[in-house]
Amino acid sequence: MNQRLAALRELIMDKQYRTCRRSLEELGIDRLNETFAKQGLSPVERVTACLETLFEKETPVILPGERIVFTRTVDQVPELFTEQEWAEIRGKHYLHERGYVCNISPDYETTIRKGLAARKQEVIDKLNTKGNDAEAVEFLQSVKRSIEAIQRLIERYALEQGENETAAVLRRIKTDGAKTLHEALQLLRILHYALWASGNYHNTLGRFDQYIYPYYQGDIQSGRLTPEEAFDLVEEFFLVCNKDSDLYPGMQQGDNGQSLVLGGRSASGEYLFNDLSKDCLRASYELNMIDPKINIRVDKDTPMEVYEMGSELTKIGLGFPQYSNDDVVIPGLIRKGYAEEDAHNYVVAACWEFIIPKVAMDIPNIDGLSLIACVQNSVAKLQDCPDFQTFMQVVEAEIKSRFEAICAKHKNLWMIPAPVMSLLMDGTIERGRDISLGAKYNNYGIHGTGIASAVDSLAAIKKYYFEEKTFSADELQDALKTNFEGYAELRDRLRNQAPKMGQDDDFADAIAVDLLARFDQVLQGGVNERGGIYRAGTGTAMYYVWHATPLGATPDGRDAGEFIPANYSPSLFIRQQGPVSVIKSFTKPDLQRVINGGPLTLEFDQSIFKSKENVSKLATLVQIYILLGGHQLQLNTVSREKLLDAKKHPENYRNLIVRVWGWSGYFVELDECYQDHVLNRISFRV
Amino acid sequence: MKKGIIFSIEEFGINDGPGIRTVIFLKGCPLRCVWCHNPESISFEPQYLEKKSGRSLCGYSVDATELAQKMLKNKIIFEMGNGGVTLSGGEPLAQPGFTAEFLEQVAPVHRVVETSGMAPASVFREIVGLTDLTLIDVKQMNPEKHRQYTGASNRQILENIGWLCASGKPFVARIPLIPGVNDDDENLQAIQAMFKGVPSLQRIELMPYNKFAGAKYPMLGREYNPPFDLQSLHVTTDIFKNNNINAIVL
Repeated sequence: MNQRLAALRELIMDKQYRTCRRSLEELGIDRLNETFAKQGLSPVERVTACLETLFEKETPVILPGERIVFTRTVDQVPELFTEQEWAEIRGKHYLHERGYVCNISPDYETTIRKGLAARKQEVIDKLNTKGNDAEAVEFLQSVKRSIEAIQRLIERYALEQGENETAAVLRRIKTDGAKTLHEALQLLRILHYALWASGNYHNTLGRFDQYIYPYYQGDIQSGRLTPEEAFDLVEEFFLVCNKDSDLYPGMQQGDNGQSLVLGGRSASGEYLFNDLSKDCLRASYELNMIDPKINIRVDKDTPMEVYEMGSELTKIGLGFPQYSNDDVVIPGLIRKGYAEEDAHNYVVAACWEFIIPKVAMDIPNIDGLSLIACVQNSVAKLQDCPDFQTFMQVVEAEIKSRFEAICAKHKNLWMIPAPVMSLLMDGTIERGRDISLGAKYNNYGIHGTGIASAVDSLAAIKKYYFEEKTFSADELQDALKTNFEGYAELRDRLRNQAPKMGQDDDFADAIAVDLLARFDQVLQGGVNERGGIYRAGTGTAMYYVWHATPLGATPDGRDAGEFIPANYSPSLFIRQQGPVSVIKSFTKPDLQRVINGGPLTLEFDQSIFKSKENVSKLATLVQIYILLGGHQLQLNTVSREKLLDAKKHPENYRNLIVRVWGWSGYFVELDECYQDHVLNRISFRV
Repeated sequence: MKKGIIFSIEEFGINDGPGIRTVIFLKGCPLRCVWCHNPESISFEPQYLEKKSGRSLCGYSVDATELAQKMLKNKIIFEMGNGGVTLSGGEPLAQPGFTAEFLEQVAPVHRVVETSGMAPASVFREIVGLTDLTLIDVKQMNPEKHRQYTGASNRQILENIGWLCASGKPFVARIPLIPGVNDDDENLQAIQAMFKGVPSLQRIELMPYNKFAGAKYPMLGREYNPPFDLQSLHVTTDIFKNNNINAIVL
């Protein structure tokens, strides 16, 4: 990192610039919704008027040394509707989360290439054609006004700059398409920022290393920039993604969806991981900040070098990169009806969902379905089941009935119109319709939660109830109802002795194969009101808390209220044999069938990164997961925070392994003085 | 059908041989190194460990063929990961029948044995003959000091190492560096002289003593009283590198 960026990084870490922020009250725009209501503005007019107002109220802030500008100073997006209006909307419609378009992958590329003036002309041309209905005219006017608002803000930033390189860049991109890397990144910054200012969230950056590459390569080939100068600009872009991200919390701080995807392969088989992809990994490594979150697309032919660079980044403990496997994801998407060229262009949404840039208005996180609750609920019918297969049918029927309830819930979906997002999505101007109304793909994704707990429960029932007959249905039902009160022995058998998913035990793993296939099978029947299909997934998001808290005791020996594992991971209380067994178990199911995504998570102690040789071994392990047909993988290094929590709540961390020296131990079993030693060591990052 | 006693199987063991490996720790050792960090590996009998989570039995009997079959389940993984299985301990050569049968049965998989070299020459030669790579410990060249800190003479060990060097079988020499016990230049020079010019030596791995070494003693109801100064450890690979011997610190 050069001195300029190091200083800028300090400034951003130090947060002083945030004193420039103003609240809606201070700016007198906290009651825009009331004004809008009085004026009788339509939703799309409100969104547009709101963006215009917000941008007028923005104060240009340029940090010393900054070359890629824009810092948000208005700390909130004003409410568009009054409480009464919201109540009316809610009465008539299903709202997804906050009602805004979110978690889709915009097409920045086209606008960066053509420029704002040309995009505005497209809108004007469309307005001048015959046959636009009133809705189209209103929408197109809004897009035009939004572009103009963006242009005015660019102009104000240019004036603020005075005469320098960035001012020249700003003046050009106010109208023209980008010709240089600097222009492309500056325009991307503004477009990305305009989405946030429009209320859209989980705004991903998509295939950054593909759509920015022509500018990067062009500047280096023409000699305009040295490779190091080009890297500096990329690194600065990454850095500025961290400036306002605290204003974009999702479920938790940091859950802001500023993710991007590197590498992959084109439909023609071309390998797409390029020098810019490498620069992205290097920038992220040097900056050591949470944004942007990096995904790497890999496949069976990905060179080891890519895994090694990824593992170097894993080492610093940011929890990314996350890997996704083209060999599984692309055929899985095609199987779900995505066109081949679209499937090849997939990206990863805010967390892990596989989505298609430009053309998909999918809602990949519309709901969660608790598979463990389905199993638990089916236990009441155990007496009616002569064999395990019949019991599996009961479980499948339960999944089906819950799925139908979910589908019924999603009727009359309404989203707040999104003119800026529409500008950045395919076909909206031609159609004269806002992206919130749908696109080429309108599919919904359902997180299947508690997969490992469900599999473990089924394995225990199969083994002890159907095969060994060690307890009766009554006993199990009573034990679960009473949270194992008086059933200590039964609980111990279920919890500690039964076969579990993650131990490379075919007894449990075959059930996982069956369960995930049935989950996908059930969803295959569904069609949503937009004509889209439903996609099964292995993610949990916050449902691993939401679905666990109200859940009573379960047949895997889990106590009432105890957590279920996050995403596609083993139960929290199994004694793992090691990462190889976990990987083998978790790659047995056909993961093309759960293409909504959700990673297997593996956790490692910092100390394994001690030598380059060990980093390579980790890289090899990642590659093996991919070669065995895993769909998605995320790696954690054990953090100090986690160890501190493990000290307080050892019961939640039975499998947390730390390297002590020459031997690995379970952290919670170490004497306190050794725990403290490990903690001390972890706080000094390798 | 030979039985052996082991105390741990570790997947993704990253410090005991190349690539993705599973390491099997055999229980029982003829040496009594004062710095031993695996005190539960010394006795050949199962024994209880008193842990915070309760009492647990350390050590169990396994059948060599069954264990080999279990490892063969991961053959494809070991091939993908350029790794295999490692027998460590304890001292694998102290259970020669079990070790030999296991190595024969697991043969298609890359085999590593980590040994102190403390075994009869015939056993040493037979087992080394069944491995793809040997990790041989070298602790102390001075026979008196060796006896003082490990409880045994190094005569047998040095004879085995001499044979290993001449055999042409690939090996890695590992030196646990213990402060004031064997980290002096004199000892390292003597080790260097022994290995200089041996083509089948892949490299030397220095394993600096770590203050966590005593962690497991209380679990066995034992006290750990190392007779050396923990602070003064001297770690250098220069002596080896200056003599064109590849050496790294683990």
